[in-house]
Amino acid sequence: MTHTIIVTESTADIPAELIAKYDIRIIPLRLFFGEQSYADGVDITSAEFYSKLSASVQLPTTSQPSPADYTAMYEKLTAEHPGSPIISIHLSSGLSGTYQSATIGRSMLDDHSHITVIDSKSASYGYGLAVVHAARLAEQGKSVAEIEAGVAHILSRRELYFMVDDLEYLRKGGRIGRASAVLGTLLNVKPILSIDENGVIYPVEKVRGQKKAMTRIVEMMRQNLNVRKINLALGHTANRESCEPLLQMIREHYEIGELVFSEVGPVIGTHAGPGTIAMFAWPDEE
Amino acid sequence: MRSVQISSRTELVWIHEEGELSLSKRSLNGTDFTAMVLAGAERLHQHAEHVNSLNVFPVPDGDTGTNMNLTMTAGVNELKRGTSPLIGQTATVLSKGLLMGARGNSGVILSQLFRGFSRAAASRDELNAAQFAAALQNGVETAYKAVVKPVEGTILTVAKEAAKHATYYARRTTDITELMGEVLRRAQETLAQTQEMLPVLKQVGVVDSGGQGLVYIYEGFYAYLQNGTTATSTEQTFAAVHTGQAMQPGMTGTSNPASASAVAQNPAFDTPMPAQARLETEDIEFLYDMEFFINRQLGPNRNVRFEEEKFRQALAVNGDSIIVIADDEVIKVHVHSKAPGEVLNLALQYGEITQIHILNMREQHRDLLSAGLDIAPPPDLFAEIPQEPLDPQTAAVPPAEEVAAYGLIAVSSGDGISEIFRSLGVDAILAGGQTMNPSTEDFVKAVENLSARHIFILPNNSNIVLAAQQARDLLEGSRQITVIPSKSIPQGIASAFAFQEDESVDMNESNMTEALDHVKSGQVTVAVRDTTMENIDIKEGYYIGINNSKIVATAPSLLQTCQELLSSMIEDGQEVVTVLVGNEANDADTTALASWISETYPDAEVEIHEGDQPVYHYLFSVES
Repeated sequence: MTHTIIVTESTADIPAELIAKYDIRIIPLRLFFGEQSYADGVDITSAEFYSKLSASVQLPTTSQPSPADYTAMYEKLTAEHPGSPIISIHLSSGLSGTYQSATIGRSMLDDHSHITVIDSKSASYGYGLAVVHAARLAEQGKSVAEIEAGVAHILSRRELYFMVDDLEYLRKGGRIGRASAVLGTLLNVKPILSIDENGVIYPVEKVRGQKKAMTRIVEMMRQNLNVRKINLALGHTANRESCEPLLQMIREHYEIGELVFSEVGPVIGTHAGPGTIAMFAWPDEE
Repeated sequence: MRSVQISSRTELVWIHEEGELSLSKRSLNGTDFTAMVLAGAERLHQHAEHVNSLNVFPVPDGDTGTNMNLTMTAGVNELKRGTSPLIGQTATVLSKGLLMGARGNSGVILSQLFRGFSRAAASRDELNAAQFAAALQNGVETAYKAVVKPVEGTILTVAKEAAKHATYYARRTTDITELMGEVLRRAQETLAQTQEMLPVLKQVGVVDSGGQGLVYIYEGFYAYLQNGTTATSTEQTFAAVHTGQAMQPGMTGTSNPASASAVAQNPAFDTPMPAQARLETEDIEFLYDMEFFINRQLGPNRNVRFEEEKFRQALAVNGDSIIVIADDEVIKVHVHSKAPGEVLNLALQYGEITQIHILNMREQHRDLLSAGLDIAPPPDLFAEIPQEPLDPQTAAVPPAEEVAAYGLIAVSSGDGISEIFRSLGVDAILAGGQTMNPSTEDFVKAVENLSARHIFILPNNSNIVLAAQQARDLLEGSRQITVIPSKSIPQGIASAFAFQEDESVDMNESNMTEALDHVKSGQVTVAVRDTTMENIDIKEGYYIGINNSKIVATAPSLLQTCQELLSSMIEDGQEVVTVLVGNEANDADTTALASWISETYPDAEVEIHEGDQPVYHYLFSVES
């Protein structure tokens, strides 16, 4: 059996049990709090990350894996599973250079025709969901082309919003240009952000109050996801309870097939901060 | 003519007949008109506080008198810079000053009345009675057009009825003095009738404040025309009119054809009404015109009790034309005094003195006399005003590369509220204090100081919207301005919040306007007098809670008033409730209020911010 092997980064924020279940291969990003370096998800947990983030004056930085890291991973997998195709799915090239590194890493191998590198143009479980979908298709013995098509399809249908609890992190990061209008506000503003088709984070709306933000997310989701049954992933920052009100609101309008709780990792987490809630939904078409 | 004590109807008639003996006046030139306007302004100035007291709400921020007085003063100041023997030019100069100085709704309407008047008179050297009547009528038509939804029972109605009567009466007389007497009489009658037109006035027992202000101006006009023509010392004594009584709760002025000139000469009213242009410069005894604020929060004397009556009496020793408007924060003082040093020393006992203006009125008067003879400004409204560039060519539009896409101007009251506005991206804050609404000119200047292609103005007070719109109209063709008609601070905050830098002008206008309807505004303050509104008995000194513009709660307890008010504002309990804490509130009350809200409405999202606003202990915003 030469089923396809799926590779991604720690920033796909895929829960550990799904990683284990589908044998997804993870390359960790490196995190730096000042001089201290951590392999994301390996020597720092999500909860530890957020407590360090809250305590840190300066924002941590993330460092993408080098091309050599990818080359090493591809070589190792090729050796373990001779003849198996590899599909490598990556964090948005609009946010990070991981896709670039993976592409170079692939080209550094003499024989790389069995490796397919995909730019998800998404972040967190917004591409984690495509990775898991790819792993399922792989398990079913689908071809590389079928898996690629499946990934493209699911990414095109996904709805992704995240709401920020504490503007301080957006402010410190200074990255999200169009959201800057709300950064200075003294009011209790919950900006709703998303990631556009080019993989860039953008502000969708600014709303006052958490409930209004959740209500708005569900409203926008209903405009775009006109189906009865959905699969849903809710992202949180080491506080699963915080997703409950949003889950209840969504249940009022949709039947939920698969439900995943994902811990929002450092890429979004560094800029969005603790208390961020993310929602990823896609139609259940099975 | 002699001084007569009015005691019976017979005497009234007699005086009226005497009045007809005065020299008739068949034409009105620029010099006459200037003197008339000065007399009107002076009379309004002296009664500004009384006009303030006609506020229908028993809240301590009724300021129609202050607004109209400041508007009129701006017009007069413009006249002092250059008047003309030709009425068309003089009226145009006046109109320009009024338009720029317009504050508050009544001030804006006043400026529009004279704008229409000046347009009708523009090409004329002098006016005869019929032309004078037509100019008044044109003023009314202009003012009605300027107001989006004209309300009857206000200054508009008083002006309209007076002008209508002028047109009618001008067919019967060529004497402008007589005509002005009739105009005044009709204005007074209509003022008294405003109570019947606006139920709220009747309920509270007052006449319309703006209408009253206009009547004072007309009284000044008439006084000048009469006194100027007879020029005897007794005629210097001007009589206030029965409208002075009509303002008293429960009393409505009735009028008969005889009373107009009669009351105008009633010596029982002892307000001196010098027709300034006819005065000798040296006759000005209290020659220093002083205006300043005493800031009670600053300086070592903040705890010294301010005894208003004592203060007034001390000012009166060497002065007149005294206006003292005090709230807990600042005391506004106006006085004509011959001992300015003493006045300032007196004021220093109560706090720090700010915004000091002292003018020598003899100097002004000398200038006025020479200006009246020498300077004739061109009739074009804004043609020769280098200090205040207004026309498209000279307006201070910054170079294109420095221009932002949008600029936001908001009127605010209180440092905390201003901070909130700034945090929402507002570029310029205009102080819209409780006793001082920004003028049209303030808006014009704020716009000129902003380098932005399109400007949104948030007036945040129903009495400021018109002045903002007037600024927009004045700058039409040179600057692109949208006035979002926000009538309260909460509405302004919601509207500023809806603004998005990356949206189009139309989209922003639509979003910002729509936001106004999604917020309820509440205000809590102390009643300044007993009254009954909407079947609620309100006692002086009790707290009152106002939901949008309706008093819905009153109680001796602040907390209880807040609870009743919020209960009327909150519907499903899921709303975002914002509390803006004013200067008058204390921490204990705010803490108690916060815990009551969170216990009563556990699902509401409550935000508490220091607003630092004066007068209002709390402002509430409830958004669903």
